[in-house]
Amino acid sequence: MIYLDSGATSFHKPPAVARAVIRAMNTCANPGRGGYPAAMEAARQVYRCREEAAWLFSCRPEQVVMTGSCTQGLNIAIATLVRPGARVVVSGFEHNAVIRPLHALGAEIVIAGRRLFDWQDTLDSFRRALDRGAEAAVFTHVSNVFGYILPVEQLAALCRDRGVPFIIDAAQSAGTMELNFEALGPAFIAMPGHKSLLGPQGTGILLCREGGRPLVFGGTGSLSASREMPPDLPERLEAGTLNVPGIAGLTQGLRYLNRVGVERVGRREHRQLRRCVAGLQSRGMAVFSGPHQAATVSFLPGMDCEAAAEQLGRQGISVRAGLHCAPAAHESAGTLATGTVRVSFGYDAGDAETEALLRAVSRLPPCPQ
Amino acid sequence: MKLFYITFRSVTFAQRGERVLTGAGIRCTMQRTPRWMEELGCGYALRVWAADVAPAVERLRAERVQLRRVYGSRDDGQLEELTV
Repeated sequence: MIYLDSGATSFHKPPAVARAVIRAMNTCANPGRGGYPAAMEAARQVYRCREEAAWLFSCRPEQVVMTGSCTQGLNIAIATLVRPGARVVVSGFEHNAVIRPLHALGAEIVIAGRRLFDWQDTLDSFRRALDRGAEAAVFTHVSNVFGYILPVEQLAALCRDRGVPFIIDAAQSAGTMELNFEALGPAFIAMPGHKSLLGPQGTGILLCREGGRPLVFGGTGSLSASREMPPDLPERLEAGTLNVPGIAGLTQGLRYLNRVGVERVGRREHRQLRRCVAGLQSRGMAVFSGPHQAATVSFLPGMDCEAAAEQLGRQGISVRAGLHCAPAAHESAGTLATGTVRVSFGYDAGDAETEALLRAVSRLPPCPQ
Repeated sequence: MKLFYITFRSVTFAQRGERVLTGAGIRCTMQRTPRWMEELGCGYALRVWAADVAPAVERLRAERVQLRRVYGSRDDGQLEELTV
């Protein structure tokens, strides 16, 4: 199988990830719940993960909250900052993991910046929207549909200058692009553990500046006599037993990235992006590409996108079609009615995979619309 | 040699404290906080030698590791809370 759906999850992980999962299942009890060796070993595994993440993202270990997914982290972050009816500025490329929690809270969602790959439009639109008043801002670092890299440093500066707390959705960037929590100064950065951080599914990280509103209440292994959740991070946001095997695997993914370097991974992926974009264009596909693009590309295959992805799948190529849980992004690009076929490269992408994709695309038959 | 206990509100703070002290060459051992030391229940503590307790507390505070209390042994062997 040629796997080109890393935007959904990374498939081929470093072998140390699976080994760590199995080892944790055989050696770890419940972290923070006992003083005997298996409980202490579980606590050590979790803390190592916090340390690796803190090193990669320039924060302190206790600011690293373990979640089950990026979505869960975004829900905590949004619930912390957003009151019902609050005016919240978001980009035109947000995932439903941002839009739906905001909608559920009854927020007034202001979409700023709809033009793909256009930093000036994104920044001007955000500036105007923030100047009209906002209680919070949420923006993705990279569009999961089009790979558009938003100007997060400048957006962060706009928010900081106006005293607007903000959340960064790093679902598509964590592990392939530099993210410096301290320098960016957000209230939260949410990310999945299972995408470019190379951990198992069911893991995620929420980086927190200070505190947060728990969505789940319960045992934390600390201050147990109190009916209140403990005030301190990370336990305040981690009620219930953590996914220790998953976290142990995630530690190995993070360790790989800390060793190899995020920049190097990003460069490798980007090389395949350029090759893929040129190849798709030469085959007459309508390709969404531009400056500021991560290793994700969408194209219109000249036939129903789901049918195209299915046919590619039969040729052993795994790509994703449809709306990618991000109708706002498709609205911005004008592809809400058609959807797109998305190709997203991972850390292990090579020339052979890209060539196989392009050969398979060449064999796509035209379909009646 | 007398042992002292530095208590923390959570396992994460205790772990960070352990890293800070170990990095500074101060030997310590992490354990559950004895129940009577923590009226709110369930926490973790670092055990250090008496001679190390002052530099340990100083180091933890310098690194912004939130510690809860310090307990030390009296001459009769009983532990009591100390002001450090």
